[in-house]
Amino acid sequence: MTPHLLQAVPLGDSAVTIALGTERSAELLQRIHSVARFLAAARIPDVEEIVPAYLALTVFYDPLHASYQEMAARLVSFCEQARDSAKPTVPPRQHVIPVRYHGIDLESVASAAGLSRDEVVRRHSAAVYGVDLLGFVPGWAYLSELDPALRIPRRPEPRPRVAAGSVAIAGNQTGVYPLDTPGGWHIIGTTTTVMFDPSREPPALLAAGDTVRFERAE
Amino acid sequence: MITIMRAPPYLTVQDAGRKHSRSAGVPPGGAMDLFALRVANALAGNAIDLAGLEWALGGGSVRFERECVFALTGAIAEATLSGTAVAPFTTTYARTGQVLSVERITSGRFLYLCCSGGFDVPLVLGSRSTYLPGRFGGADGKTLKTGESITLGAETPGRPPNGFHCAADLMPPYEGGIVHITPGTHRSMFDESAWSILTETGYRVSAASDRTGYKLEGSPIANSLGALPSEAGCPGTIQVPADGAPICLMADAPTVGGYPKIAVVSEADLPILAQRRPGDFIRFESITVERSQRALKRRASDLNTIVQSALRAFGA
Repeated sequence: MTPHLLQAVPLGDSAVTIALGTERSAELLQRIHSVARFLAAARIPDVEEIVPAYLALTVFYDPLHASYQEMAARLVSFCEQARDSAKPTVPPRQHVIPVRYHGIDLESVASAAGLSRDEVVRRHSAAVYGVDLLGFVPGWAYLSELDPALRIPRRPEPRPRVAAGSVAIAGNQTGVYPLDTPGGWHIIGTTTTVMFDPSREPPALLAAGDTVRFERAE
Repeated sequence: MITIMRAPPYLTVQDAGRKHSRSAGVPPGGAMDLFALRVANALAGNAIDLAGLEWALGGGSVRFERECVFALTGAIAEATLSGTAVAPFTTTYARTGQVLSVERITSGRFLYLCCSGGFDVPLVLGSRSTYLPGRFGGADGKTLKTGESITLGAETPGRPPNGFHCAADLMPPYEGGIVHITPGTHRSMFDESAWSILTETGYRVSAASDRTGYKLEGSPIANSLGALPSEAGCPGTIQVPADGAPICLMADAPTVGGYPKIAVVSEADLPILAQRRPGDFIRFESITVERSQRALKRRASDLNTIVQSALRAFGA
């Protein structure tokens, strides 16, 4: 892959967004996660937080101590070092989440996919998913890639309340609702694993770059 | 301790928010008008980032269960302390058992009440701010209700004198409704006309506005981009969904999103926007990030002037 010219743009007074590519891909996501880890390990002065995403990462900093120009230049230089660094990155954390596959949408997902319920469960629990990014609500992790046979668009009307612990799918992704929230994904099961606990440090079970496997529980 | 005698429709504990949990999907939260919260703390003789009460949507009353110093800032309210009028943005001394009563909020949206010692609720992820959608922070993640009470922390020495108030020229220009913006991360992907529509036509704050975001009514902005791969936003980010009606993200907005981000409100002016009510008019003016950051430093220096003058008044 040809090196992408790093482009920094301001996100308001206290953040810089640095695009590392223009097309979404698993390789790009991995590169963004590895650059994010490199930046975090570098403990750059005045940096408060790093939020990796699909095409870019965003660095939040203290604008009373660093100007945008200084910070953008500093970050681009660190990102270039990270890209050129041959250092092997830390292996991703691996999680296994037990699931009772009895979700209210399991039947409709099976019929949309033209598969048996058992086959939906088998395919959902066979894959190893990567944590793409966290967001939407605290502790929510977008996980990909879902088995192509299981891909259906999100529900046309979101449900006003989906219970915490609901395991759901939509498009090429799957995820676990960390809190009771409105939600438009198809619920295929539930887990007792606590995805988000504000009294924990870190509060979210999953972090961008981790891997997740679901295991059928009875 | 203070007791809520009659709760307003909205009352929560807020401080400066959470700065280190975005990567776990936790919004920064905190006071919608952080400048006003900090001024209220300075006037109550507190460190500026202690927790205060964020009050909106109507009147109510609270009783002081111990002697303390308090101040009301942000929105302007008709208020009395056991029958005597309480001036806005003014250090006020309360005796044990006195009742602070807010008749109504006359202008602005969020009123702040800070008391000497601050409100002592547990720290959650480094902050005492209430995050209602996640039901954590503040008082068990909820709005405060009639009959509930809330503990005050230990007072630090250094009370500004009763009646001390901060100079009006040190406050953000709330009245004009002019809000400066810098280009957002997707500004260059919008049509040429988008920026001039945003900056040359006025907008009104929609009724669909809360701590998560303010929807804006006015000239629509063509969004031919649809939805983009999600990336981080921040309070003040103006995004444009497919219907063309811009939404400004506020304190409790999700940390990432896929709507194109056309602009970001200057942090110095975020209090001005936060204090606009549904139906209120605003006008956006374009500035560079360099100027926007200078404005933010100026606001920080004005706040420091207020803190210093409160301390000097104490010494005098």
